[in-house]
Amino acid sequence: MKNFLARRGNYDELDDSALVALAKEDKQAFGELYSRYLKKIYSYVYHRTGNTHDAEDLTAKVFMRALSHIGNYEDRGLPFQAWLYRIAHNIVANWHRDQGRRKIIALDDYVAHSLKSDAPDRLAEESEEQAQLMEAVQRLPEDRQQLLLLKFIEGMSNAQIGAIMGRTEGAVKSLYHRTLLALRDDLQPAAEAAAQRRLGGAVAGRQR
Amino acid sequence: MSSQSDSKAQDAFGALAAGAQTGGDIESAAAHSEVMAEAGEFADLIGALTSAFEPVEPAVKFADELRADLLGEPQGLLERLRKMPARVHIAAALALIAGCLLFVMRRLFGSDAPQDIQEEAVATPL
Repeated sequence: MKNFLARRGNYDELDDSALVALAKEDKQAFGELYSRYLKKIYSYVYHRTGNTHDAEDLTAKVFMRALSHIGNYEDRGLPFQAWLYRIAHNIVANWHRDQGRRKIIALDDYVAHSLKSDAPDRLAEESEEQAQLMEAVQRLPEDRQQLLLLKFIEGMSNAQIGAIMGRTEGAVKSLYHRTLLALRDDLQPAAEAAAQRRLGGAVAGRQR
Repeated sequence: MSSQSDSKAQDAFGALAAGAQTGGDIESAAAHSEVMAEAGEFADLIGALTSAFEPVEPAVKFADELRADLLGEPQGLLERLRKMPARVHIAAALALIAGCLLFVMRRLFGSDAPQDIQEEAVATPL
């Protein structure tokens, strides 16, 4: 059936495992996998490198490596998507080691990219809060950053994240909990300072 | 926190994240949680993380070029020339104009130039 669909060029009707089996000999089947996962992998790499140039360079490396190793891939409980993310993770980890830096996203790019509010005051406030949040995320260990990216960008379940990170679902759940606690503790002083500023501003406004 | 309530908290945080991902009302999700007080505190953080980690899409040009590289799709000469940067187009145009000018000048004045050089060489004493 899959060969019939492949002959007709209906690759989009095949699931990942059928495509992977075909992709070992048929580049068009790999092209379909590329179309399915390019945006996800690019987004993941972008948030872990912080700029378009490196994101493009590393994304290209991920798919080049996937293409050259797909002949060795066997679905032994590790879905193709998880395999691809592992390649991406290894390539990004090597890049960080080479660069000697740990960065999720350039804050200027990030603020310009994600803020949608038109109100200047609200924009400035959101900008500061989000910058602090991103700085706190950058201070997290690499596995916790990866967990947050997979959960919030890819919308993956704990089981899917576990398959990629090589942990059990329970371990991922626990790590997620500890990550939120750590982030909250890290952000607590900044949140209190912001609250103080707001309170001070309100008092000064009333005195005037 | 006991291990049982810890587990409940983890479930609640998972539900909050899932609610935030699907655009659900995370505050109301927190209200139904057994650990509402703690989960409520995380609701803001989860909401902030959801808006912070927006998916980013690659440029269409990059996606097309990488696809062509991976699949070995042939790109025609004109297509490859068209995709070159603007500075390459400008440099090529300038080189073409300079080449044409040089050709025309050689055609018009080309026969004089070597003679002048020869005459100069003869006139210059050793």
